[in-house]
Amino acid sequence: MSETDYTVPASLLLGLPILAFFVLWLGGKNLNKSAGWIGAFITAIGLGASIVYADIDTLHTVSFNWALIGQTKIILSFLFDELTAIMLIIVHFVALLVQIYSISYLHGDKNLHRYFAFIQLFLFSMVGIVLSGSLLVMYIFWELVGLSSYLLIGFWYFKPRAVWAAQKAFVLNRIGDAAFLTGILMLFYYIGSTDFEVLATSIQSLDAGILTAIGLCLFGGCMGKSAQFPLSGWLPDAMEGPTPVSALIHAATMVAAGIFLLARISFLLTPEAQIVIACIGTITMVIGAVKATQVWDIKRVLAYSTMSQLGLMVIAVGLGSWRTALFHLATHAFFKSGLFLSAGSVIHAVTPSETDETFDPQDMRTMGGLRKYLPVTFVCFAICSSALAGLPFFSGFLSKDAIIVEAFFWAEKHGAWAYLFPIVIMISAGITAYYMTRQVWLIFLGEKRYQIFKSVHPHESPVLMWGPMALLASLSVFIWFSWNPFDASHGWFLELVGAEEFGHILWVPFVATGITLISIFLAFRETKAEDPFSIYAGNSKNSVPLLKKLAGLNEFSREAFFIKSFAFISNGLKQFESKFVDAFVDGVAKWSVVFAHILSWGDKNIVDGGVKLTVFTIKSAGQGVRGFQNGKIQSYYLVTALGVLLLILWLTVL
Amino acid sequence: MIDHILSLLIAIPLFGAAAVSVWPSQRPGDFRMIALSVLLLELLTGLSLFLFFQNQNTGYQLSETVDWITLPIGSLGVVSIDYALAVDGISFPLVILAVVVLFVGMISSWSISQKTRAYFALYLVLSGSVIGCFLAQDFFLFYLFFEFMLLPMYFLIGLWGGPRREYAALKFFIYTFFGSLLILIVMIGLYLSVIDPVETARAVGIVGPEDLVQTDVILQIQQWLADGRIAPDQLVHTFRFAYLTDAGNYIPGSILSPETEFNLMGIPVRLLAFWFLFAGFAVKLPVFPVHTWLPDAHVEAPTPISVVLAGILLKIGGYGFIRIVDGFFPAEAQYSMIPLAILGMISIVYGGFNALAQTDLKKMIAFSSVSHMGFVLLGVAAFTAEGINGAIYQMVSHGILSSMLFLLAGVIYDRTHDRQIDNYRGLIGPMPRYTILTGIAFFASLGLPGFSGFVGELFTLMGAFQAGPLPVWIPALSTLGIVLAAAYFLWTYQRMFFGTFWYKADDSIMLTDLTTREIALLTPLAVISVLLGIFPGLLFDMTGPTVQAFLERLQ
Repeated sequence: MSETDYTVPASLLLGLPILAFFVLWLGGKNLNKSAGWIGAFITAIGLGASIVYADIDTLHTVSFNWALIGQTKIILSFLFDELTAIMLIIVHFVALLVQIYSISYLHGDKNLHRYFAFIQLFLFSMVGIVLSGSLLVMYIFWELVGLSSYLLIGFWYFKPRAVWAAQKAFVLNRIGDAAFLTGILMLFYYIGSTDFEVLATSIQSLDAGILTAIGLCLFGGCMGKSAQFPLSGWLPDAMEGPTPVSALIHAATMVAAGIFLLARISFLLTPEAQIVIACIGTITMVIGAVKATQVWDIKRVLAYSTMSQLGLMVIAVGLGSWRTALFHLATHAFFKSGLFLSAGSVIHAVTPSETDETFDPQDMRTMGGLRKYLPVTFVCFAICSSALAGLPFFSGFLSKDAIIVEAFFWAEKHGAWAYLFPIVIMISAGITAYYMTRQVWLIFLGEKRYQIFKSVHPHESPVLMWGPMALLASLSVFIWFSWNPFDASHGWFLELVGAEEFGHILWVPFVATGITLISIFLAFRETKAEDPFSIYAGNSKNSVPLLKKLAGLNEFSREAFFIKSFAFISNGLKQFESKFVDAFVDGVAKWSVVFAHILSWGDKNIVDGGVKLTVFTIKSAGQGVRGFQNGKIQSYYLVTALGVLLLILWLTVL
Repeated sequence: MIDHILSLLIAIPLFGAAAVSVWPSQRPGDFRMIALSVLLLELLTGLSLFLFFQNQNTGYQLSETVDWITLPIGSLGVVSIDYALAVDGISFPLVILAVVVLFVGMISSWSISQKTRAYFALYLVLSGSVIGCFLAQDFFLFYLFFEFMLLPMYFLIGLWGGPRREYAALKFFIYTFFGSLLILIVMIGLYLSVIDPVETARAVGIVGPEDLVQTDVILQIQQWLADGRIAPDQLVHTFRFAYLTDAGNYIPGSILSPETEFNLMGIPVRLLAFWFLFAGFAVKLPVFPVHTWLPDAHVEAPTPISVVLAGILLKIGGYGFIRIVDGFFPAEAQYSMIPLAILGMISIVYGGFNALAQTDLKKMIAFSSVSHMGFVLLGVAAFTAEGINGAIYQMVSHGILSSMLFLLAGVIYDRTHDRQIDNYRGLIGPMPRYTILTGIAFFASLGLPGFSGFVGELFTLMGAFQAGPLPVWIPALSTLGIVLAAAYFLWTYQRMFFGTFWYKADDSIMLTDLTTREIALLTPLAVISVLLGIFPGLLFDMTGPTVQAFLERLQ
């Protein structure tokens, strides 16, 4: 299929970051100063290579044999097509900006070399996922991404909550990955390969039921990485990691890997599997949106929002439109990492100059009125928020609109009940607008609630930080994706990924905008209330009682759901082990001894003469044996040799 | 020299043991130095096998055969026991693993200070018999080494172990001995049922006593045997593996002949014999529910003995499954595929859950071994090329990684004599290198791609999926094992290593980081695991052709 040898870019894109990882990691603390620039430089080369080698018209593959077992040949393959070109550029671009931002944001941390090393490890794994030409290769890098996410969330290893969150992320992901692996192995069994090209041609031969099972197993991987219900609980906790990491991994790239996986395997998803996927996506979207209206942590709001947006992308795939999902992935990557970086800038600004245990720099209740001190951050945050909320003229509007349109087309074909999906999406989009307005107001507008803490002196961030933010914010405007601010179906992006024509429904953008505006109005009205958003009323009290009730749903993926049940089974089996399995053996042993005593009593009292002699002999032999245990190793040999001799004798006499 | 290189592998440690026993001086350092040089020589000899071993050769290589015992016993025929050694693609990786792990165990024995003469002599005896197990090509010889191993092991746990060492040693001994007994019974049955066609041809007189016996003669003898034309006293009975795997060598009407009609309580005798053999090796692997000796033995054993126990001794169980259980009873193995796979699955999941519940670091690792060895059983049960190759791979990988894990557990035990996970926090503070190496071992063990553990699990699972008669839910449920592995390893890691430093017994204790010797021990193991993980071909090229031929012969 490919004439050009793409080994060079493949080894360049994968080799450089892994090399950089080892250099930075083993380089030690004296690289702390330069690590960020080295990392950024490597990533810049990667970005260059991604652009130079982006050849969207042809498919290029690179493959080599990994193992040969019996008749099964395991081939590892990498492929370059339009999907990889887009993803590579997004990943490298965001990673570059995030590393530049981190140089300033984290400066002074004494383990900086490790931080940038881990970022490079992440890039290596993420590029591996993007380039993978088979599901097995994807799984390999999938797990490595999990590792780098673990290392980065737990980067501040002295914070118990960060380490706990890292471990929770890895384990919850592993649950999804176990399903993913099962799907891969089933494909090996039924098709004999997991190569995308092979699968595309031979998948039709498979029974629909089995195909559904395989599709859902593979979706398990997406549920873990893309934080879908019920494996979503790790994402909000992952916010314990450094903020730039949240921007890169837990907003723009890694969590999108699940969507990328679904886009790759969309051809093997049966209608039944698609419905399940759409339902899971819907649940996730609603839960994420509702939770985002309730939390006070600036980053957690964004995390729940990410979860919700990922749900939206999953719905799009479930409804058979992976292209719009990918479109939303792309727009989301920019505005959400922009939001995270801006949030980092806010945290940076309000973090007290001296340590103040009582002040939490991430709590929005102690912010407010920061617009004056952080003008650039405010503008960036506002632009990215508008994109997320789906206001017209911003990128998020285009992609969300495209998905809603697709949902309506899909519903048309499936009957009245199917309209549930587009309606729920629109309502959730409304909630999105509500919580983003709430967040912008809580941080930047209203009264300055931080002033009760004397140690807080907000200040704008240096250019190394606001530069990347501004760049990402500028990419959240519609113009980059489509000339027409109300319709992306003729924009370059959708034309690039999709051969088919995208439809457009004229009234959708207007209704969607209407809902968004109403939500913003509702949120705005709340700011005029006596106690806006119940800031002073206590922790999780919410102004909308119904939303509060729904929040309980998310508890499924928290401690109560997984850890307690695992601990229960695990302790139960430990009891079983000691009380039953082991006790049984001990019992057998004890009863044998009792039995032996009975026999020996009978022996002593009933059998006499020659037998007594035998007993005596054995007894004295026993005395002799005891004598052997004196550490004189020579005697052990004697016994062993004698034993062997006896065995041979016995066998020959037999 | 090359002709006897395998004998040399067994003889070197045994002579070393003799040398340690009779060494005139009483200085502990002397015994240590002798043992170290003996095992270094053993390691080099073992590695030199790479020069002679041919991957593509599917038969026995470097064979050595000597008639050992030949005894005519009247109407029961002739007893023939051979001293037969060889390696093939199945045993070669395990032999290499054994010499490496034994050497590692030796270095970590450096700190043994009590009764050093006895310790090192026993350790060398153990080394010789372990190697012998993998090399023996005669069931009797194999059994000899198999039994011979128990004695030094019993004393090594019972004399140098922890507080409950007597209990653990006895439990280990009784379990394994019980297993051996089952093996012995089947061995005798097999012996009564199988002839050595070569020796029988000589006994019958169709070839001269010194002549080479060609294939057509063997076929002729087998035909005669089937027709009942050979007098019973001319039948030469044998224990040779090569003859036991060939259905043509079974005496018609004998107790274990493939066409046997013998039943015991309604169960075919061959099936019974299969389960006896299986149970015998299952104790060693170990398989649920006969695994309970393992956690006790590991917890009580001194570090180097734990290393040897987990690193190689368990592998004899898996090796026995492939070579002996599957080799001699292929039809029964395929018939019993589903129960075997279910036992493997239970071991994986049960071991994983139990590991999660442990508070003792060594016990946690011991149960993780149960879980990981479950994958071996799953692969063997599948009876596919992927499954058996994967099982061998998993054994080698686990041999390397469990050695590493027990060495790591030994590091902290050496410093504080305390293995309770909850008694530590934030070890990364005083011991950063220890933290990194433990992290590598943990992630490698939980099956992260790039390390050997992943490949072993992937291919055993793949083999189980490929096995037609196996329902898909068995391997699918087994994947729960990889979730549990992530949970128990990372949870332990989090509890012991992260946060601010704290030690229950003494908060002001000064813990020293890894010494150079410890790093030198652990790093090569990590490197081997990575190499095997990235280039699985290194191992599969050795095992693949042989396993393929092995399976084709059995089908």
